[in-house]
Amino acid sequence: MNPEFIKTICPYCGTGCGLIIKVEGGVAIATYPDREHPVSRGSLCIKGWSAHEFINHPDRLTDPLLRKGDTFQKIPWDEAIPMAALKLRETAAKYGGDAIGGLSSAKCTNEENYLFQKLIRMAFKTNNVDHCARLCHAPTTVAMVQTLGSGAMTNSISDLAGAECIFVIGSNAAESHPIIMGEIYKAADKGATIIAVDPRETAVTRNAKIHLRINPGTDIPLLCGMMRHIIDEGLHNEDFIRARMEGFEDLNEFLQLWPVKRAAAECGIDEEIVRNVAEIYAKAKESAIIYCMGITQHACGTANVLAICDLAMLCGHVGTEHSGIYPLRGQNNVQGACDMGALPNVYPGYQGVSDSAIQNKFQNAWGDTLSDKPGLTVTEIIGLAGKDIRAAYIMAENPALSDPDTNHVLESLKAFDFLIVQDIFLTETAKFAHLVFPSSCFAEKSGTFTNTERRFQLLRKTVAPPGNAKEDFEILCLLGNALGLDFSYKNPSEVMDEIASLAPAYGGICFDRLEREGLQWPCPDLEHPGTRYLHKDRFTRGKGLFVIPEHTPPKELPDENYPYYLSTGRMFSHYHTGTMTRRSSFLNREVEEAYAEINPEDAALLDVKDGEKIKITTRRGSIITNARITKRVSKGCIFAPFHFAEARANMLTNPALDPRSKIPEFKVCAAAVRKESQDG
Amino acid sequence: MLEKTKNIARQILEEKKAGAVFGLMRNEWNIIQPHLFENSEELANLVLEPKWLLAKLAMTILRSSPENYKLAVICRGCDERALIELIKRNQIEKENLLTIGIACSQEQAAICLCDRPYPEKLDAGEKVSGVDPFQDERVRKFLIGNDKERMERWADMLKRCIKCYGCRNSCPLCICEPCKLEDDVWVQRGVVPAETITFHLIRAFHLSDTCVACGACQEACPVNIPLLYLQLGMRKTLREKYGYEAGLDPEIKSPVLSSAFEKPDTDREFPDWINSLREEDES
Repeated sequence: MNPEFIKTICPYCGTGCGLIIKVEGGVAIATYPDREHPVSRGSLCIKGWSAHEFINHPDRLTDPLLRKGDTFQKIPWDEAIPMAALKLRETAAKYGGDAIGGLSSAKCTNEENYLFQKLIRMAFKTNNVDHCARLCHAPTTVAMVQTLGSGAMTNSISDLAGAECIFVIGSNAAESHPIIMGEIYKAADKGATIIAVDPRETAVTRNAKIHLRINPGTDIPLLCGMMRHIIDEGLHNEDFIRARMEGFEDLNEFLQLWPVKRAAAECGIDEEIVRNVAEIYAKAKESAIIYCMGITQHACGTANVLAICDLAMLCGHVGTEHSGIYPLRGQNNVQGACDMGALPNVYPGYQGVSDSAIQNKFQNAWGDTLSDKPGLTVTEIIGLAGKDIRAAYIMAENPALSDPDTNHVLESLKAFDFLIVQDIFLTETAKFAHLVFPSSCFAEKSGTFTNTERRFQLLRKTVAPPGNAKEDFEILCLLGNALGLDFSYKNPSEVMDEIASLAPAYGGICFDRLEREGLQWPCPDLEHPGTRYLHKDRFTRGKGLFVIPEHTPPKELPDENYPYYLSTGRMFSHYHTGTMTRRSSFLNREVEEAYAEINPEDAALLDVKDGEKIKITTRRGSIITNARITKRVSKGCIFAPFHFAEARANMLTNPALDPRSKIPEFKVCAAAVRKESQDG
Repeated sequence: MLEKTKNIARQILEEKKAGAVFGLMRNEWNIIQPHLFENSEELANLVLEPKWLLAKLAMTILRSSPENYKLAVICRGCDERALIELIKRNQIEKENLLTIGIACSQEQAAICLCDRPYPEKLDAGEKVSGVDPFQDERVRKFLIGNDKERMERWADMLKRCIKCYGCRNSCPLCICEPCKLEDDVWVQRGVVPAETITFHLIRAFHLSDTCVACGACQEACPVNIPLLYLQLGMRKTLREKYGYEAGLDPEIKSPVLSSAFEKPDTDREFPDWINSLREEDES
């Protein structure tokens, strides 16, 4: 009857903090921080402390559900699995394997993601597998692979504390990655200069030494203006560029277009401040750049990341212990889901599906033929529902809230001939499913998560899943076997061994080693200690490459009819689509209802008081939400968190895509706002 | 010290003086975590390092246990003082608690700025002398300067707060139910940092006479707010003006509880909180 304490990993953001779950009588009843954890070292944010709260929620799915008209009926697994296999096979037989789409999950383990992509690729001979990384760091992967050769965060979280300058652009780490914010403060307490770039005022900008409140969508002008000034002042690292870089002449020529004066005017800030931050960043012994969705979620997301890489490489601030480029990963295992090849163009370990040698390797290992044609992305799979894509299998993703232009997404979700959703709650997406598989949350399974610093960490099972719900690993094995594949894995550890044998960067990862401590890839063999920071003497691609970051303004800017900038994002007590946090009482009490931030001057013009209802409209749709009047947003700007199903911010967002990475432009669109009369 | 602790723990378990011994376990993979040792064979895996405060966990275990369940807790000085305060505050039954007191190292005392790095009931290890936190540069940085300067310095720290509630959750003496920090009269919901600094000042004052300076709050703080320093001044004032220190003797009541009726043996009616964070008392 005495409680047990079991160490595991937090299910929320990509920081990957260590939790200790207190289990009493088979029930997870409390969460404590793990003092010995290399990242979180005894601290947690409000979400981490509350991680156990949703586990026992009465809304948990306990049985497979089959749609009967507008309702669901519980069915046993031995009906659900054969039915799923039959429907998927029938669809593939009738329309071809490319008519099947799979959305894997950044919430699930590496082993589950590996099995998911293997199942889709083997059973249907298609590469139509993707996941929500498309909506967060797709531009990072494209741009950093092109410039450095690896799409991953270059350094470790703890390296930040030793930086002399930390340049935070488009990241509200204090709310979205709080434990990483702590490392930034450690650097600040040692005298580092913290520079924050954000159109909004956030807990990061308030605590930074310098806040650049630039106009939305003007990151490239700022970064180019800084680079131009750095070169003009001779502050660039010529030795580094000569020894390790290519493409400097082209970049230098391109930067002639960006004198500081023009850059500052585009950004709406003083020229002097651009020069000042450029000099601080360049002159510091080691400078780190942190960025997040404020950089990537633009139609010019890839170019934004290129500009960041260019700035870092220009000053030689890559490849040392306390410098580097930190794209902060959103989901607990979004790094891992990418690593495991839950992407339409690569197998596990970023090995291209169109490379015939790679294709042969996987065909030999898996014992079947595979498609060499890159598959479709998240937004394409949803957008082509009922057309090119006839059936879909969605594992723990919630596009009904997370994807842009929700009205269109909801129409699409209705259009599949057959939709399987596997989740722990009946999410807004699962409500559209023909068949629902009840699965397990982080506390109910073993496996590995990979955090934002490439650290594989072991997830330990603390309690059993509710009712007849199963671990995702087991569901995937059952379905794989029913589809005629040999998915006779005994446990996730066996899957990890298979991954290690196929992806060289993870060759040294196995559960026995992870029992002791996490391992940061690349970790090519069992003796290798893992890699704390990348690109030390040589970039992954050999030489680093300067790539020209062409500036394109946001696709939709305020005009007469839609006079406001609308931006979306997160707030500290909720996570993404709120599936877990809104069912956690301590988190939900912070914010129980949807809201949008509006500047006091705008509120006065609209005659809106704090807490009153406003209607926000864009070309895609409208939502009614509570006004939160605050100077944290500039005049003319609206900020709406996207956690709330009753007022979906993504009803409003623009599905315009970055041409290279296909990320939608969540961060800027044009909106109209008016007071919503109280009598409706 | 470890062997001696194990022997005491073994004796307790074998003689069934307690249902379990609560301490730290190191498993075959070298993973260290809190653990309830229920039989003496398990004690081979008992370790004493690192410093890992167990008082609050021990309280939650005792409170969810059957009425006469007895628990032995391996205690450092701060853990013991916290448990004594919890007994004084009627959170745990004195009869249900056994302690195995262990001494901290000089090095640990320096890290914790601890002025009493040993329990009153010391069972294993040698006492080392305490550290005067007011001589430490890190603390002094927050003591020097005029009111305005000190206020600015604290505001700079407190505005980092991300409201994780880790300080409250970790603090063994944060026991109010309902917690004032969850009342939106005092702490605005839905924003970080809270618009005012009431969050930390409420907490500091609630703990003015119960804080045992264990440092759990500061260790749990993800954003490096030196929360322990907020308490040190008040602890010092209580000691200097009233000769009182939280967690030392279960029988001595806090002067905050008694001074309303009995004038304390000083020239002041109430503790001089306001100036307690100042380097030199100028009044």
